[in-house]
Amino acid sequence: MIRAPLTKALSLGSSTSPIHKIAAAAFRTTAVTAQIPAKAPEKIEVFVDDIPVHVEPGTTILQAAAVAGVEIPRFCYHERLAVAGNCRMCLVEIEKSPKLAAACAMPVMKGWRIKTNSEKTRQAREGVMEFLLMNHPLDCPICDQGGECDLQDQAMAFGSDRSRFTDINHSGKRAVEDKDIGPLVKTIMTRCIHCTRCIRFASEIAGVDDLGTTGRGNDMQIGTYVEKLFLSEMSGNVIDLCPVGALTNKPFSFAARPWETRKISSIDVLDAVGSNIIVSTRTNEVLRILPRENEEINEEWLADKSRFACDGLKRQRLVAPMVRIKGELTPVEWEGALIEVGQKVRAANGAVAGVAGSLADVESMVALKDLLNRVGSEAVCTEQSFPSEGSGADLRSNYLFNRNIQSLETADVALLIGTNPRYEAPLINTRLRKAYVHNELEVASIGPKIDLSYRHNNLGDDSNLITQICNGTHPFAAKLKEAKNPAIIVGSDLLARPDGAGILANLQNFAKGFKSTSALNVLQRNASQAGALDIGYQAGVEEAIKSKPKVLFLLNADEAKVTRDQLPKDCYIVYVGHHGDEGAQIADAVLPGVAYTEKTATYVNTEGRAQQTLAAVSPPGLARDDWKIFRAISEIVGAPLPYDSLEEIRDRLDDIAPHLIRHGHLEANSFQTVAPQLSAAPSISSGKVSVQQLSLKDYFMTDPISRASPTMAKCIQAAKKEGEKKAASASC
Amino acid sequence: MLRSASILASNASKLSGAGVVPQQLLKIAGGTFGPVVTRGQQTLPEIKPGQESTVPRKGYSPFGTKQPNLVEWSVARLDDLLNWGRKGSIWPLTFGLACCAVEMMHIAAPRYDMDRYGVVFRASPRQADVIIVAGTLTNKMAPALRKVYDQMPEPRWVISMGSCANGGGYYHYSYSVVRGCDRIIPVDIYVPGCPPTAEALMYGVLQLQKKVKRMRTLQMWYRK
Amino acid sequence: MAKYLGLDKVGKLFQIIQQSGGLRAAYKKLYRFDELKIGSLVGTDKYGNKYFENPYYFYGRNRWVEYAHHQNMDYDGSQIPAEWFGWMHYKTDLPPIRDGARVQHKWMASHSENLSGTKEQYMPYTTTKPKYEAWDPKKK
Repeated sequence: MIRAPLTKALSLGSSTSPIHKIAAAAFRTTAVTAQIPAKAPEKIEVFVDDIPVHVEPGTTILQAAAVAGVEIPRFCYHERLAVAGNCRMCLVEIEKSPKLAAACAMPVMKGWRIKTNSEKTRQAREGVMEFLLMNHPLDCPICDQGGECDLQDQAMAFGSDRSRFTDINHSGKRAVEDKDIGPLVKTIMTRCIHCTRCIRFASEIAGVDDLGTTGRGNDMQIGTYVEKLFLSEMSGNVIDLCPVGALTNKPFSFAARPWETRKISSIDVLDAVGSNIIVSTRTNEVLRILPRENEEINEEWLADKSRFACDGLKRQRLVAPMVRIKGELTPVEWEGALIEVGQKVRAANGAVAGVAGSLADVESMVALKDLLNRVGSEAVCTEQSFPSEGSGADLRSNYLFNRNIQSLETADVALLIGTNPRYEAPLINTRLRKAYVHNELEVASIGPKIDLSYRHNNLGDDSNLITQICNGTHPFAAKLKEAKNPAIIVGSDLLARPDGAGILANLQNFAKGFKSTSALNVLQRNASQAGALDIGYQAGVEEAIKSKPKVLFLLNADEAKVTRDQLPKDCYIVYVGHHGDEGAQIADAVLPGVAYTEKTATYVNTEGRAQQTLAAVSPPGLARDDWKIFRAISEIVGAPLPYDSLEEIRDRLDDIAPHLIRHGHLEANSFQTVAPQLSAAPSISSGKVSVQQLSLKDYFMTDPISRASPTMAKCIQAAKKEGEKKAASASC
Repeated sequence: MLRSASILASNASKLSGAGVVPQQLLKIAGGTFGPVVTRGQQTLPEIKPGQESTVPRKGYSPFGTKQPNLVEWSVARLDDLLNWGRKGSIWPLTFGLACCAVEMMHIAAPRYDMDRYGVVFRASPRQADVIIVAGTLTNKMAPALRKVYDQMPEPRWVISMGSCANGGGYYHYSYSVVRGCDRIIPVDIYVPGCPPTAEALMYGVLQLQKKVKRMRTLQMWYRK
Repeated sequence: MAKYLGLDKVGKLFQIIQQSGGLRAAYKKLYRFDELKIGSLVGTDKYGNKYFENPYYFYGRNRWVEYAHHQNMDYDGSQIPAEWFGWMHYKTDLPPIRDGARVQHKWMASHSENLSGTKEQYMPYTTTKPKYEAWDPKKK
């Protein structure tokens, strides 16, 4: 928005079409009804350090203090987890109360005067700190948490400058054996201060009750009871939650100190959720990826693949242009490769096609489409297919996750069809789980039996079930119709079936009668898909194959949807991407592009929210921005594209679809009601509803980056081993 | 069309196929404690004592006299003349940053007497041909060095004197030191040492003279 | 008297020209080395460099080398082999040809001049692991 001209910004505000206005109003009303509580309770007044604040009844002292802008130290308390109240660091004094109270667990009463900085409070904190440090090892210099350690910071701020701890009996500090809980999380259990944040995260958010405590008092230990791995698609978050260095990032261990890394805000592209991330780099190397808080998308969590697959960015990279000489891909200079490709495009005389894969950004897809249009071709497709019958991809609401991710929390009935959100979009699954825990969400699924980390009703995996639901003959259909906030989540792989159009049309017709207008959601799996369909790509590679291209551009297309034998013999395949994977193997020319941590590029997530990645490191070797490669080819072909800078190509995006440059902003979808009228309503063929990612081992490697990652390979090994162990124990 | 591509490919095959380079660089001989690997060295032609040299005398010009035509021959001679003039009056700009600067002063003193090679210190970058970076280049000094270098008229050369200027040296891991002045400006001659003796710097200046002697200013211009 | 008139200097010049082998040869030597000196030949190394000494000149200039004839103007300090380097730098007064105590081993490499700027020059190469592992199309 900032970079859009003022006139444009003004016109956006004033001259929206009537349809837009109605849609916006409709959207607003649904949102408002969902948020307004039945009756606003009276607020009560409390005083935090003599600052008066008005808070709702039931607010804890700690939250009230936060409203007043007073920070109370804490270890075990975390906003998104249940209150445990076991670290005692947040003890505060309440006037006229004989004892100190734990601020995180104590709800405020009217007129309380809370003293967070009184002598008594300070003494209490010092005492708690002394006890915590008594059994905490003095290994800060070799601890990976050093520099971002809550215990370090708070010991500095609230601790005593000397210790009364003298080892009279020479028994040493308490020592605890380290646990092996998997290839991602490293444990140094002696450092643990028993805040139980990790346990609460595992059981509340991740939904795996693997972690727990054994023993009491000085013998208390955090562990997995029996020797097993803590394998969850969300396990990496316990690293961020751990206030000390007990749980640290295993691949990142001993790599760098937090203060020497450069942190760049970016977007994750390994699934279609578009989680906000921080890329930590040092000396031009991506060291680790951390989540960035975004209440609307990923809260403050991050899925394991997004967090740990970053070491795949350093392997299997394409660092120099390559051309097939005598059957071998040979590294060449850019000039030679570009001229070669340019001349092939010229000689093809319009018989050119393009296929964009899962990691392609919007800018490069636009450049590819413009290039192909200029040489007289319309065959630009995405690898992932989507039904084109009926309104197809013409209406955004057909292929988007219309109910935004945040509002899933308010859903009361949900139906998952042909999708496993736990592995296809882990952060959407945590929202569903949140609704399940806090909002009594009732979930049913059509598809194979899967573990969603919460209880759900598996209706079966017969396609006829979808027909039955849409007819209203199935009992669950009535539940959906009566629900206040129903949600149907359809997997994009299900719609890629030949009868996908029928499924979509039937569901749209069915969803018309719902109380909520945006009940039908398509869960995309690829970060590129929504953006590609937004800018007019055709879904599915059939179109590209049908056009019998002489030159085929593969833009990050690594799913092996296009093979050599589907194409004409003399077809010249050009791969543009950053990893040597399926696509590069069949290519005649390989032009090295850059990965998402190396470019400033736009991605549209499954909700239709455009967000941008920022370049964190410079591209390796001779690799260049993908869109610049197409720009260079266009010059050689003789049809130069009219943009030379990122700003100019963003202006082009603005011309195609203005929402693409409004980063972080979610446009309301309005055509849910129109879509069924346009659809042809073909029938659904019988058969089974399948899901690609069934168990954890299917989750880790789904794209070129994670396939190149050694950490992900280790995860798969661990998941397989754990699965075997479970199977063995079940059989005996 | 694929000129660069094929050149690259042919080079690659030469390198890997013939294996000329490794053999030339490394010589493996049998030894008491297993094979001894020595770096292959080119030695000077030997002359038997008491005999007159039979080795053909080297010509003055590094370009030789066998140019294909008269024009090129004369351009080469003009280059020789130009280089002779340039190498005979290399005027360095002092850029003394640390202890190396003291050794740099010594080459101006009577013992080494740089003046006999036409080397005269200048205090202004506008009058200098070469800048001698003598000492630790700190991050704070780096912009000044670049500015001074940019003020020098072409053709200009750089002598990096001492470990610190060559690659950070003792202060390589310091937070405030540039790891080598070649990160800021293009260096022609590296003089090793900590600090290098005045003699070593003198030798560096002579090496620079050799380099200047090889410059093909007019020949490049003519080829274009 | 002749001393006061500086006639001994003129005599020295004639001596030098005589030792150099005539006016023409003396001029050539002056052109090559930018100086003309008289001295006694101490020795010749195996590369044809001749080493001279004359205590008449002051310390630092009383030992010098005349590089092999075939090197012409491309002489270089590094063409002096290691054994003569010591004598040239006053590390020893015994020139290697008269010093019997010098050890000679079979494995000692012969001297190499500074090859910078030639094809045989030493090229440094990186020994660290590259940050990015490139894809090799041949490796499956």
